[in-house]
Amino acid sequence: MLQMESGLFTATIMIYVAAMILFFLFIAFKREGLARVAIFVQAAGLVIHTAALICRGIGAGRLPMTNQYEFATSFAWGLSLVSLIFILRFKFPMLGAFAIPVTILIIGYAAMQSKEVRELMPSLRSSWLGVHVSTAIIAYGAFGISFVLGIIFLLREKMRDSEFWNRHVPSRDKLDLISYRSVCLGLLFLSFTMITGAIWAEQAWGSYWSWDPKETWSLVTWLVYAVYLHLRIRRGWRGKAAAIFAVIGFICVLFTYVGVNTFLPGIHSYA
Amino acid sequence: MQKRLKRIGGFFSSMRFGIALLVVLAAACALGSFLPQGYALDWYLNRYPARTAALIYGLGLDDVFHSLWFLVLAVVLCCNLLLCNLLHLPGVIRRWKNAGDPAAVPECPEVSLDGVPSPKEVFTRMHLPAPREAERDGRKMLFSAKSRIGVWGAWVCHLGIFLLIVGFILGQATKTEYTVYGVPGQTKQIEGTDLSVTIDAFDIDHTENGSVQQYTTRLTMHRGAEAQSGTARVNAPASLFGYRVYQNSTGSAAKLTVTMDGNVQQEEVVCVGESVSVLQTPLVLTLEAYEEEYYDAGNGQKLPGFAYSTSYMGQVDRAGVQVAGDTALRYGSVEISFSEPQNYTLLQIKRDRYTPLVLLGGLVTLLGLLLAFYLQPSRVWALETEGGGWTVCGAGPRGNAFFADLLREAAGKTPENREKQEESR
Repeated sequence: MLQMESGLFTATIMIYVAAMILFFLFIAFKREGLARVAIFVQAAGLVIHTAALICRGIGAGRLPMTNQYEFATSFAWGLSLVSLIFILRFKFPMLGAFAIPVTILIIGYAAMQSKEVRELMPSLRSSWLGVHVSTAIIAYGAFGISFVLGIIFLLREKMRDSEFWNRHVPSRDKLDLISYRSVCLGLLFLSFTMITGAIWAEQAWGSYWSWDPKETWSLVTWLVYAVYLHLRIRRGWRGKAAAIFAVIGFICVLFTYVGVNTFLPGIHSYA
Repeated sequence: MQKRLKRIGGFFSSMRFGIALLVVLAAACALGSFLPQGYALDWYLNRYPARTAALIYGLGLDDVFHSLWFLVLAVVLCCNLLLCNLLHLPGVIRRWKNAGDPAAVPECPEVSLDGVPSPKEVFTRMHLPAPREAERDGRKMLFSAKSRIGVWGAWVCHLGIFLLIVGFILGQATKTEYTVYGVPGQTKQIEGTDLSVTIDAFDIDHTENGSVQQYTTRLTMHRGAEAQSGTARVNAPASLFGYRVYQNSTGSAAKLTVTMDGNVQQEEVVCVGESVSVLQTPLVLTLEAYEEEYYDAGNGQKLPGFAYSTSYMGQVDRAGVQVAGDTALRYGSVEISFSEPQNYTLLQIKRDRYTPLVLLGGLVTLLGLLLAFYLQPSRVWALETEGGGWTVCGAGPRGNAFFADLLREAAGKTPENREKQEESR
């Protein structure tokens, strides 16, 4: 089963790369048919990716969410899923052209991690694991999309006169609103992650909050996005400022995920 | 004076002040995660220049999350949230009432679409409840609203965060926490309480591959003549006498035997890291480690080994490894040896009365976020025009560019539709 997972994982990377090339060709040749094919290929990649995760879960005999490799590939899966939902929900194929390279970067990071299946320590043998980590995956995926939308917004400023861009990228107001919605989705799920994590930690370690670096940086990320939402209301921070803030917010997310594991080890070192 | 107080109150409840607090808290958290926490001044002096180390220690940056200034920040944030919620309550109630009141619709709505032949279909397509009939300026009016409760989103979210922080602060200030370790059969007094704990059994379950699956301690807690029994497992603490007992960790222990002239004088279980006085003399023995397969160079075999050290009057005396079956130390006719290696269990015993408040705060925060993000109120109303047609108007979430599109689509007033209608004419 794990061998099959390895094959499916490689296939997923290749399919995502193919989807990325198709999205780039769509931009280069300005042919809408290519965008439709790219979305279809990305969806196929997501199906294969899901199958790879299922195989990993069956092979390991648990949810595939407990080490660096498993979380990275799940993070990429979350990003791919959320981007597809946003592409279809807002009829916005251009989003795929920007989201899929980020997905490939994250799945590439996963490929560099050890794929060894290790037995879980007793504290990780909990039903909270699935809820806690899966909400984190959706949260990170949604923040990834807000980052991509922030980049698109900033690029749109430069491409204001391009008819192709005007046709395929929503207006600045709508782009800003889609980004806001992805931040809302991310913040809601990050809150879920933190609260379910606190409940679990209370049961496992006797303390719902230990100021562990991962917990602390989740809080920092939460605070950064809370500031973003308040600035939108208080100062009407929309458009360019909000786009820059979305980019900064995702840098915090990446630090919470990769930076904390690398520079600030704590009780979450396995994730 | 009253004016000044009002101004101060206004500042403390303002969103601007709240944003500043969030930024400062985020910066403090980041700082606390980067700076090594909880070391003595000497450690910082060794690592940083003297002035930096003094600054770290002086400002409490060595223990950011338990420092007074961090606590003050949290309390001030609580005040900000509370004042903000109190001052905004009348406005929220007003908005909530207005959101369902046909008489309160704005004069200049965000969207206004003329010449709609059948407004009832618009309400259906917008997934709104069946419209109510009303009257406005002598004209017939149809009105419907949804997700009114969403008006409460931010307010509920602030309340949740307030409860969460208050619960956390009170919990930190009042919680009691003890650690007890031992092997089955031992009874330990919990220092500073009238409670004692007897460890009835300690089991380690392994998977087929040999890795640990679960640690389980069966214990009995005593308070005077009363006793309560329970089982503490990892992820499943026991609740006894209002305390939560957590299976924290485990380690090795061994039986220490001290004989004099062949007669047993002292016999007790010693855990790794634990020190005991030998025959109530100033000689202190510490079991430093236990190795199941210690390589004994003397006989070339792998045997259980007990690493130990002794000190006399605070001065290190001896250190070495005793393999199973041997004698560790001899002081004249006194012989000291370790045997019967076993596992001890380490239990954490805790009482935090405010944990439920923190949990409630978390759940209320989630509810608030759900209301604020996914139940945004919207209103649609239709006014009959003199010619018999209808003007459909709508007010959606603030700045929601999609609401206008949805309403136009529901009313068949998209630019494409308009072109088609003109062509057919």
